[in-house]
Amino acid sequence: MAFRVQRLPSSTPMIAFAARVIAVVLALLVTALILAVSGHDPVDLAGQVFSSSLLDSFGLQDLGVIFIPLMLTGLSVAVAQQIGAWNIGAEGQFYAGAFAATAIGLFVPAPEWLGLILMVIGGFAAGAIWILVPTLAKAYADVSELISTLLLNFVAALMVYYVATGPWHDRMTNSATPKVKAEIPEFWGAIHWGFPIAILFAIVLALVLSNTKWGYEVRLSGSNPSAAKYAGIPVRRHLITVMLLSGAIAGFAGMLEVAGTVHRLQGGISNNYGYIGIMVAVLARGSLVGVIFAGAFMAFIQNSGIILQTEGLTTSAVLAMTGLILFLTAIGEELSYYRITRDKV
Amino acid sequence: MDLITGLLTTAFLAGGVLALAAIGEVLAERVGVVNLGVEGLMAMGALTGIAAVTATHSPVLGFLAALAVGAIFGAVFAFATVMVKANQVLCGLALTLMGTGLAQTIGRSYSGMPAVATFEPIAIPLLSGIPIIGKAFFSQNILIYLIYLILPIGLSYLMFFTRHGMNMRAVGENPAAADAAGISVNKIRFMYVTAGAALAGGAGAYLTLAFVPSWSDGVIAGRGWIAVALVIFAGYRPGMAALSGLLFGLITALGFVGQARGWPIAPAFLSMLPYLGTLGFIIVPVIAWQKMRRAMAAPAALGEPYYRNVR
Amino acid sequence: MNQHLVGAVSSRAGQPSEVASAHSNESPSGQQRMQDEIPAAAPSPGTPPRVYLKGISKYFPGVIANENVDIEVLPGEIHALLGENGAGKSTLMNILTGIYQPDAGEIIIDGYAKQFASPVQAIAAGIGMVHQHFKLVQAFTVAENIHLGWEETPKRTSAAVLEARTAELAKTFNLQVKPGARVSDLSTGEQQRVEILRVLSRNAKILILDEPTAVLTPAEARELFRALRDFVSHGNSVIFISHKLDEVLEISDRISILRQGRKIATEKAADCDPRMLAKLMVGRDIVLDDMRGRAANAKPMSTEPVLKVTGLSALGDNGLPALHGLDFSLRAGEILGIAGVAGNGQRELSQVLTGVRPASTGEIVLAGKAMTGLKAGEFAAAGMGHIPEDRLHSGLAPAMSITINAVMREYGRPPVAKGGFFSREAAGKLAREIAGAADVAIPDFAMPIRNLSGGNQQRLVARREMRIAERILVAAYPSRGLDVGAINTMLRYIVELRDAGAGVILISEELEELLNLSDRIAVLYEGRIMGILDNDNLDIDEIGLMMGGRAHIGAGEAA
Repeated sequence: MAFRVQRLPSSTPMIAFAARVIAVVLALLVTALILAVSGHDPVDLAGQVFSSSLLDSFGLQDLGVIFIPLMLTGLSVAVAQQIGAWNIGAEGQFYAGAFAATAIGLFVPAPEWLGLILMVIGGFAAGAIWILVPTLAKAYADVSELISTLLLNFVAALMVYYVATGPWHDRMTNSATPKVKAEIPEFWGAIHWGFPIAILFAIVLALVLSNTKWGYEVRLSGSNPSAAKYAGIPVRRHLITVMLLSGAIAGFAGMLEVAGTVHRLQGGISNNYGYIGIMVAVLARGSLVGVIFAGAFMAFIQNSGIILQTEGLTTSAVLAMTGLILFLTAIGEELSYYRITRDKV
Repeated sequence: MDLITGLLTTAFLAGGVLALAAIGEVLAERVGVVNLGVEGLMAMGALTGIAAVTATHSPVLGFLAALAVGAIFGAVFAFATVMVKANQVLCGLALTLMGTGLAQTIGRSYSGMPAVATFEPIAIPLLSGIPIIGKAFFSQNILIYLIYLILPIGLSYLMFFTRHGMNMRAVGENPAAADAAGISVNKIRFMYVTAGAALAGGAGAYLTLAFVPSWSDGVIAGRGWIAVALVIFAGYRPGMAALSGLLFGLITALGFVGQARGWPIAPAFLSMLPYLGTLGFIIVPVIAWQKMRRAMAAPAALGEPYYRNVR
Repeated sequence: MNQHLVGAVSSRAGQPSEVASAHSNESPSGQQRMQDEIPAAAPSPGTPPRVYLKGISKYFPGVIANENVDIEVLPGEIHALLGENGAGKSTLMNILTGIYQPDAGEIIIDGYAKQFASPVQAIAAGIGMVHQHFKLVQAFTVAENIHLGWEETPKRTSAAVLEARTAELAKTFNLQVKPGARVSDLSTGEQQRVEILRVLSRNAKILILDEPTAVLTPAEARELFRALRDFVSHGNSVIFISHKLDEVLEISDRISILRQGRKIATEKAADCDPRMLAKLMVGRDIVLDDMRGRAANAKPMSTEPVLKVTGLSALGDNGLPALHGLDFSLRAGEILGIAGVAGNGQRELSQVLTGVRPASTGEIVLAGKAMTGLKAGEFAAAGMGHIPEDRLHSGLAPAMSITINAVMREYGRPPVAKGGFFSREAAGKLAREIAGAADVAIPDFAMPIRNLSGGNQQRLVARREMRIAERILVAAYPSRGLDVGAINTMLRYIVELRDAGAGVILISEELEELLNLSDRIAVLYEGRIMGILDNDNLDIDEIGLMMGGRAHIGAGEAA
């Protein structure tokens, strides 16, 4: 009697989900261990996090406020994955959307409702423009989008930092622009209407992908481009459309952050949301509806980091933990292809 | 004259970070593994360099410690990607997040603190007196010679003029063929991914011990990603990687000179130059140098895990 | 990391068989004398077999690749390993060469039990294998490939040194190769020579060849056979893997037949005939039919061509011309066979004909409509079906569900498409219909299609394509990778389609298959048609010559 480990050609959703749960639990345990070693009481900290984020109405509102940009950047990355592309540049597109929204909010004289509409359009457009060069380079010259999208993050961050502290800066703060007049109305407490809109957005996109001809073509192109070409699908056109859509969604997230939460543009407004969005998409395993839940979970992790700041921990520690979750998830995903079977010898 | 001397000297100094990290990435990619964790490895290396030099007052020990930390993180990454065969892109991104986050968390107590000892320029008698180029070529810190001379020449020799180098390249081109020829694919991949990561750690320490030289949260500032991009531009060759680093050093140096001389461009825009330049450098060659594509092509098995006993 | 030895392998290492050294084949002259006295297949009694595989078993997920296989290969013998695809021939050889480790059983070489943890150890024991899919590094030169992983390669070296050494080896073993050429620039025949030279240069005494003639013209194959005869005449051994009966009878001294991972029999070639071998291989009587006869209710062949191709040229993936000015036509209800050694433009031809690859010059007229410049979707809409040669890479999305893959051709028309919408219900219904017609039992249509066996995938693709192939079906290697039973099914599909009045272009490397089905046969060589022959009283040698590049005497007069 012997056991044998075998790698199967595919994994099942159930096992992949279980692998993710195990990865997350392991990452949390490792983090707790490190906290314990460095003189904190992990159980006490966990208690604090739970009571102040989940059992408290203000805590839940904070969670919701972080959830909106995270879910949308996650959606952005997951949408690009449908066509087989990695959008590592959601961070930059987020900045670009925030930048455009602020420009419109500050300098376009319009009634508030019209201003908001223009800001939405501007956010979408700026995000799409920010991913345009990497998209065309991938579509026409086969240049990997991994690095090209990422490099533009730094450019966007520098640009926003420059206008927020330079030409557009507010004389009172010096590190941010003046307040943008147009505001997205509140939905519940501090949470603005971007919350239901973002969720609806994900659901509608998921439905479009699974129930339209276009969605079928996109999914096939993403899964195997040569099979899609064989079926007569214009793969390149879909690649361009979907990548631009991905950028637009991240730009929209940046616009919402300005118009709904921060109300002004400041350096670092994106808060690593673009990078954590990758984590959200990976946890969701390419499912657009899954992004909603993965986004909620990552919002909880990020919010914990903010709560723990009072305990002398930094958001950097949360970044490191996010990396650890991603690392273990990647390993878990691979291991979910393996089965242990028992020989009948 | 001073302008050119200053530009060249700074270009060598600034390019060293990118060159060292890019050479490390060449090693990993030549055996078929994309390591997108360079940014995080450099952050850990930079912090390790500062921490070790603060404790020992020896920049050499600081550099060696950074190599070791890079190797340790690299070995963890190699375990995940080579042994377990987890997705290389995800593991690399995770390594970047972990390295950056961890370095920033631990590094708070070192923030803004200048290095207590650094790698100082050593003027080579006579040669350093040559007009214009003397200072740039012959009055530099010792690492410059390691990065631009010893490593590129040594590694090029190893890769293209030894039996072992041929085996190593075969692993990145066709692991199944290498395996059938009796070459241990996993061992070679593990070794070079780890070695490449060590160099990335060293590049971080170079930044904080020879170039900047102090630690702050954003000190790496995307240099790890530029290094990864340079490898494509350099056609996966150590010598070309060093030269590409130097080229980018020149772009950076131009930015410095611009700031120092008060060119009418906002510093933020000058700072954008390396990123935009890199973007151009990975797009333009593909379009412009069609004929060079085969010689500069990526290893055929780049990014693909190798399974032997599965069909 | 994912395999465990099952059952202990008892070690007999260190126990030489009593007569092991008596017939050492280190002295060629003695060996030669022995060759003269007794037939190669029967060395003197007591000589240990060169290779003795004893009770070998190997399991893969859900598959018994080998179970309890016993095979003896003698010195001076060419031993054929015959079996269908999936019978376990390649796995068994991968075990002998150290690529896989057996789950049970022993490998005994010259009387000594061996365990090969890696290919190096097998090579050191004198075992060399020429794989069906060459294990060559495409970006390396011939010289680099010859020296890869070889301990006699100088530790410090250069391209010039390696090329000089390679030229020397080529002379020693009388195999012509170009030392400095990049392997990706070589023809498949040349690549095979590189593989053989590499194996021989490592002093192999046991040469394993996996389907070596699949990539050769008949003339090249004969040349290979001569080289093999020469090799065994020095007391070496050859294991020759094939599923071609005639070839096996021609070259081998003894034949072992594998079926479903088990050894069925070992026979002397002299005692065998094709019919009996086929029966052993498949497990039942099979008759290779002449399928050219029409059923009574079949639609007659049209007088006007349904497809007319003039001056068709196209570029290959490498940007170089792969097809040069092809002219041919196809009638409705006709099967046009395309013969030729793989890699002579077949892939490009099937892609250009179906709109997947653009033509550089020339015209394709389908049922009176010029198709030049149109895309694959429009070809399909005009009634063109396409069974691609590498179905898993270009005909299917392996990671996606069976339903998604089944509707790939009809998602854009009703009932699956309703306006811009995709009806999942209608898609599911269509998928079940196709699976039913293909006679494939599918437990869950949502599971990835890569979970199905290769044969079932191929049947689904064929049925899917037949539904849209109202006018023409282009079938590239439809029987590749299938067992004999499945091949028969596949060929019946094609006949069925022909009888329904569609024209069929059948690309195949199996001459027998082409002769049994085609009305006419065109021979493709280096992207050119060497001639188109009517399939009655065909001279097979004539086709063989054309496959090797000799133009047909009456070329150009073809219909």
